Parts: sequence; structure tokens; C-alpha cells
Amino acid sequence: MAQHAQAAPVEMKETPGRIRWRRWLGLSIPAAIALVLLVAGIFADILATHDPDFINLLARLEPPVFDGGTWTHPLGTDELGRDIYSRLLHGARVSLIVVAIVVPGAALIGSLIGMVSGWVGGFTGQVLMRIVDVQLALPSILFAVLMASVFGPSLRNVIIILLVWTWSAYARLVRADVLSLRERDFVTASRATGATGWWIMRKHLLPNVANTIVIIMTLEVAIVILAEAALSFLGVGVPPGTASWGRMITEGREVMIIAWWPIWLPGLALLIISLTGNIMGDWLRDELDPRLRNVR
Amino acid sequence: MQFWNFLAIRLLQAIFVVFIVVSIVFFVSRTVGSPETFLLPFDATNADIEALRENLGLNDPQIVQYGNFLWDVLQLDFGNSYRGGGTSTIGAIGDRAVNTFKLGVAALIVSLAGSIPLGIIAALRRGKPIDWFARLLAVIGQATPSFWLGLMMIFFFAVQLGWFPTGGAEGFKSLILPAVSLGLLEMAAIMRLTRSGMIEVMDTDFIRTARAKGLNERVVIFRHAVRHALLPVVTILGIGLGRLIAGSVIIEVVFAWPGVGRLIIDSIIQNDFPMVQTAIIVLAASISLANVLVDVSYRVIDPRIRSGAL
Repeated sequence: MAQHAQAAPVEMKETPGRIRWRRWLGLSIPAAIALVLLVAGIFADILATHDPDFINLLARLEPPVFDGGTWTHPLGTDELGRDIYSRLLHGARVSLIVVAIVVPGAALIGSLIGMVSGWVGGFTGQVLMRIVDVQLALPSILFAVLMASVFGPSLRNVIIILLVWTWSAYARLVRADVLSLRERDFVTASRATGATGWWIMRKHLLPNVANTIVIIMTLEVAIVILAEAALSFLGVGVPPGTASWGRMITEGREVMIIAWWPIWLPGLALLIISLTGNIMGDWLRDELDPRLRNVR
Repeated sequence: MQFWNFLAIRLLQAIFVVFIVVSIVFFVSRTVGSPETFLLPFDATNADIEALRENLGLNDPQIVQYGNFLWDVLQLDFGNSYRGGGTSTIGAIGDRAVNTFKLGVAALIVSLAGSIPLGIIAALRRGKPIDWFARLLAVIGQATPSFWLGLMMIFFFAVQLGWFPTGGAEGFKSLILPAVSLGLLEMAAIMRLTRSGMIEVMDTDFIRTARAKGLNERVVIFRHAVRHALLPVVTILGIGLGRLIAGSVIIEVVFAWPGVGRLIIDSIIQNDFPMVQTAIIVLAASISLANVLVDVSYRVIDPRIRSGAL
């Protein structure tokens, strides 16, 4: 199939420089949004106008300032009178903490397993790949629910669950790459000169699978944020009371019919962030490795 | 013969996977501590507790308990629920599984019916407004959290417009909103795959030949191109089915749909561990089975794999 694919003809008016410029421009909006999220999460304490958990029953369900509210609560308050703007900022921090640990962690574990199983092959490789199968057959959400039922909801458990949830994507794709790389001449040459397996993996295989890993990591950011929100929504994620976007949606659900903002604002925040992650991931993939287009 | 070998190997792999899942479920749930704290009244005596532990086999060594558990599972005896007068868990799950199955099939139909025609049209009208629309829909569909989408649909279509019930499983109408929220993610993925597959196929020699023979464009597209472009779609159906079953847990909670997923969440709240264990094992086994079926059908559909050419 693949050998029939031909590059799309470039239109005459579009010079390569102009195309590249347009592509970078396309990246600037998602990059700016990602930056906003980063700043919001890191400086949540400074940027927040209120304590995110401060309950003020006298100020319940105040609308946002653009829907008839006041500047005291720019994005309104929820059903317990907590400031939604401040809660969104602290929710961003929860998402960031989870992403900052889970994405590199899963990339490390998954790539290592994928590389070893691709390189060593044989029985070890088979066993490692069956573990990937188990991970695919035991939907992570079920595992998460099982963990939460036993250990109770906590941020630490969310992180463990999401590590288990996401490592296999790296393992599968890195393994596939390594399986084809190991047959290449430069690997054979390196072997012939007496290089050890570990050396070849580090010096020859890793640089060649780095693109794949970086692309998956970018795409996984959105997946991890959505997964954390889904767990928290189900009540098996971060503990009740924590300002997290998923929990805010659960709480907003109760008052959905009388007030739109407690559920719309965190939902929109999630949607925008996950759109951003997907667009950046797609962009990076097209730049670095168009082969991966259909992996997800 | 080759086919039966393949089927046997795939089935063995699936059984192995289910075995691992059963083991994980056993060891994770055994760390929970003792169920006697919520099975017995507050004023139970030590003798009562001891009798119950003996009765449930909790005094045996872990390895013996594990062996017994595996043996029971082999006989499809999944133990009794801690709640509801100790009915057998597998019986309670049976009814729920039918509902989850209905929801899954409906979501699959929604996602296939929405994605394949759109993917084909988008590929044929590449770069035109319909293509941009389809790609935008795919990007948004892939990014939208399904539980939030579900809540929004309840708000607009059930509360505001009153077209559908807000939840529950009362007839066909109540199936539509959950099926659409569940199917959207898969729809985006399948649409992208159909579109790229079609674009690739339309460029091949055999399509050029078909056109050169003077075939009607409709015949070229439907008899030659689409069949070819849909092959990769079958491969991701396996992963897609798994994602649908996993996603149904969330959607069932959002729409109060009485399926296995909601049963799991309810049972967790009630500390009903045998029920949680059984439900998770049942779901994992059905996902494994679905994957085997998809692999098998892929071999049946694609002659190149059947003859071992690929």
C-alpha cells in the first residue's frame, strides 16, 4: 500500500519558505495557550484572587463578570461560593503536576521496555509484549477503579494509575521501530566491531527512536489531563474538595440547570487544553515523522 | 490449517491475558484488609469474627487462597456479593452485561455510520469545505472529554429541548444520547483513518486501471477503493472496542445507565469487593475475546494475510 503513496504536488505560488512560515504561525496559538497553562499552574498562588477552597455561602452561584457579575469574582462562584477563577488556576496546577510526573515517567518505562523487547526479542520480548497485551485488555479505567477502591482516592494513586495507563503506547511503537532498526547495516557494523547490546541501544537505537518518543509524549499530555479529569469526575481521582477540573465538573453537574458557568468553564478549559495538546502533537508529528499519522 | 493454528495461538494468548488480569485483581483486592469490619455488626464478638474469617477462607495462607480463587474462577464460580443478601455476583452481572453490550453496539454503530461516509467524502473532496469540516470535527471530537460532552448533551437535548430522557434505560430513546457521547471519540479516529486510507488508495495503479477500463466512477469508488481503504479500519476496531468498553464505565455513570460499569462504581462505594472483582474480570475477558474476533476477521477479510504473504 505504502509504496503507492506520493507526495502531494506543491502549488506553484507557495514557496517553501512561505509554507514553513505559515506552519510556524499555526503553532504559535497552541504554544501561547500552553504557555498560559504553564504560568497559571506555576503561579497559581500569586494569580489567584481567593483561597480556592474558601466556602462563602453568602456568595453562592454569582455569575461571571461578562454575564452580570462583579469583578470580585471575575468568573463567578460555584454552589458553595468558591471563586471559580482561583479554582481553575489551582486545578491547572493539579493537571500540571500530574503531567510533569506521568508523561516523562511513562516515556522512560515504556521506551525502555519497548527497546529491550525489540532488541532482545525471543522469549523475553514475547513476555514483555504479552504484558502490553494485558495492559490493553485490562482497561486502565478498570484498574484505576480497582486501585481507588482499595487504596482510596489520592493524588499519588492518580499518578501511579496514569503511569500504568500510558506506558504501553511507548512500548509498542518503540518496539516496532527497534525491530526494523536492528536489521539495518549500521547496527550490524556496530555489532561486528564488538559493541555491547547496551551500547548499541544507547548510542544507535535511542537517537533513532527519539522522534517517536517525543511525538507520543506531546500527544499524551492531553490524554493524561483528560484521564485525570475523568478519574476525578468518577470520584476515584483526587480526593473530594481538591480543586481539580474533573471534580469541578462533577460539582457543577448538580447545579447545571440553574447556572451554566460552574460546569462550562472547567469543561471549556479541558477542551481547550486537550485541543492544544492534540494540535501540537499533530504538528510535531508532521514535522518529524509523518509515518506515525495513523497510530492513534 | 494455518488458520486454525493462528486461532489456537490467539485464543491461548487471550486466556493468558485473562489469567494475568484475574491474578492482578486477586492480589490488589487482597491488600484491602478484612471484610469483616463491614460484614458484621459493630458489636460482633471475636468468636463471630473468627468464624466469619474461617468461613470465607481468610485464615488460609495467601497462596492457598489464590489457588482456591483460580479454581473457583475456572468453574465460573465468582463468589457471592457482600450486599443484597449474598446473591451470586455473576448472576447479578448477567443482566447488567446485556445493557453494557447494547450500549457498546449502539456506540459502535454510531461511530461507524458517522465516520466512514464522512471519511470517504472528505477524501474525495480533498481540500474542499467538506474536508475542512470533517477534519475540524475529528480534531474536536478527539479532544472533547466524553463525560463533559455527555453532560452537555443532557443539558441541551434532555433538559432544554426535552427530546430524550436525562438518564436510565427506558426504551430506544434513552440509548441515543449515551451512544453518541460514547461513539464520538471512536468516530474521530475512524474518520481520520478512512480519509487517509481513501486518499492513498485513490492514487494507486489499480484505481487508474479501473478508470481506464471505463468503469463508472461510482463503481470505482465503492467496489474498488472503499473496500481497500477500510482494511486498516478493521485493525483498529480491536483497540476501538476496548476503548468503547472502558469508556462505557464513565458514560454509564453520566447517564445512569444500568450496565456493568455503573455496577462497578456503585459496588466500590458499597465496599462490595467480590462484585468489583467479578465485574472487572468479565469486562477484561470480553475485551480479550473482542480482540481475538477482530484479529480473526482481519485474516478472513484480507487474502494477503490469509495466504501468508504479509
